[in-house]
Amino acid sequence: MIYFPGCTARLKLKKISQATQAILDHAGFNYRVMEDENCCGSVLLRTGFREDAREVMERTFKKLKGQKLLVSCAGCYRTFKEDYPEVLGEPLDVVHINQILDELILDGKIQIEREDLKVTYHDPCHLGRHRGEYDAPRNIIKKRATLVEMDKNREEARCCGAGGGVKSAYPQLSEDMSLRRVDDALKTGADVLVTSCPFCVWNLESEKLKVMDLTEFIRRGIIRG
Amino acid sequence: MDKSQLTIMNRSFRILDKRRASLLKEPATLKLKERVQEIRKYSMDHLDELISLARRNLEENDVEVFMAPDANQARDYIYQIIKGENRVAKSKSNTTGEIFLTEHLEEEGVEVLETDLGDRIVQMHQKSLPSHPVGPAAHLDLEMIAGIVSEALGKEVEAQPRPVLEAVKEDILDKLMGIGVGITGANSVAAQDGALLMVHNEGNISLMSLMDVHIVLVGIDKVVPTLEDAVSVVKLETIYATGKKTPAYMNVVSSPSKTADIEQVLLKDMYGAKRVVVVFLDNGRSEAVKSEKESLWCIGCGSCIVNCPVYGVTGPEFGYRRHLGGRGVVVSRYLENDEICSDSGLFKCTLCGNCTRECPLEIPTPVMVEKIRGECVKEGILQEEHSKIRDNVKKRGSPYKD
Repeated sequence: MIYFPGCTARLKLKKISQATQAILDHAGFNYRVMEDENCCGSVLLRTGFREDAREVMERTFKKLKGQKLLVSCAGCYRTFKEDYPEVLGEPLDVVHINQILDELILDGKIQIEREDLKVTYHDPCHLGRHRGEYDAPRNIIKKRATLVEMDKNREEARCCGAGGGVKSAYPQLSEDMSLRRVDDALKTGADVLVTSCPFCVWNLESEKLKVMDLTEFIRRGIIRG
Repeated sequence: MDKSQLTIMNRSFRILDKRRASLLKEPATLKLKERVQEIRKYSMDHLDELISLARRNLEENDVEVFMAPDANQARDYIYQIIKGENRVAKSKSNTTGEIFLTEHLEEEGVEVLETDLGDRIVQMHQKSLPSHPVGPAAHLDLEMIAGIVSEALGKEVEAQPRPVLEAVKEDILDKLMGIGVGITGANSVAAQDGALLMVHNEGNISLMSLMDVHIVLVGIDKVVPTLEDAVSVVKLETIYATGKKTPAYMNVVSSPSKTADIEQVLLKDMYGAKRVVVVFLDNGRSEAVKSEKESLWCIGCGSCIVNCPVYGVTGPEFGYRRHLGGRGVVVSRYLENDEICSDSGLFKCTLCGNCTRECPLEIPTPVMVEKIRGECVKEGILQEEHSKIRDNVKKRGSPYKD
């Protein structure tokens, strides 16, 4: 399997790709990290550069064709899963790290220590509403902590405000939206806000509350034998 | 919209959201939703045919019909009817807001009296825009409202709901004396019956329909096949917009006032309007139905903005006039043009998809927004920052500079 960290985990929040690799290594999972990773094309599709997106996607597809792909980013996941078949007419075999983590825990490949912690989970739009992936991250969180849901969760989850090119073109708007989501999380009384998308983590990071990617959160709970 | 108004608006939205939560899950609501989806999809697939039928049947019922291709012609036509009046009365209508009817009439020296309480308050408050299609004053709290009303009426009005209502009502009723023209919208138009269906809670539309002349401005997209369909549409709209099963009033208007009580001789002009005039507004809708048909499935409940993350931090500046939120951005392209669509917030949508989930018609707004972005970018209507990101991706394989 090839691990495709995606631009944010690779360049901005390296701690996420590091945590991911640390967990996979600990579990003895067979994978290699993508070399010369190219863009998945999501950002170009969402901001209207359709022709540029197609070029980039074709180039990326050539490198990935026939491989099993593992991603950190909800945006990459949705794009590979949904937009590649739609734009290029070619399916890609892709899984999100949440699904792998869920399996590794179920198979006993990693063991998690429970702690007296309250955690709330933010559903990334690309993973939740767009792809219906709600259960795996919740199962995983419950191995280490008590899950407390925000008022708006699962398919109703309020967007963190980063997506669709808004963070780059209207940074203030993105910040205002992220503050509202952090407020939602604070209302649960949670100690940590966990999500499964580097781009969401980046936008939600706040002085008011600890925000982590699920991989970072789980890495800290692994029982090393 | 300033921070305090946004806070009040979001609080109002939260209350609405809670009030309607269980009603939205009831089997009867789900069944009605399915039925309305069928009705609206069929109607937009047969728009030309239904509009011709509606026109024919309304005219047969003695209603005057004018087909207005654009905002200008709609405004001019309405002005020609009311020329000479000092003051006209009006109920809440997002379509009149779309064509700046009030502003236009006031420029021509005709005062427009809003009769909906929320609208009247917003009208008195020159500094703000309506924040919800059904609850236009959702962004103002009691203190602010009392201040606005006191200032407008030139007397101290106590900051309590009842005294505010009484003060505004008294002023409106006083001004209504001697007004001969009422302007309303219509929530749905029944083509086969030649009938207009209007929904209200305050009773003000009934008053408008009793004026000598009742003018109805309605978008061509409001048409459905039958009156039963129209009732289904407005029932669902009411549920989603207010959390109540039915509005206080549903007025059906299909003719000027008439009677045949004396030897079956048809006599006109009993209590209600002497003339009913319907202005069907196209204003780009024929174009929209060709390119983004789904945007016209809308029944105007405002559900899409209640949980929109962008609307929650911007208010009505995300959207176009009274077409609020992302769907409003989409239709602004057809009501106006690509530049205005971009200014309305084409690139502000995070494409999160919550509006589609909240919408009783499941209008795929993010899909339309993404498609229109693609078409606008080809014409050079884009965000500078996105352009830089595009260059980064192509040069470095990542959107980031470093």
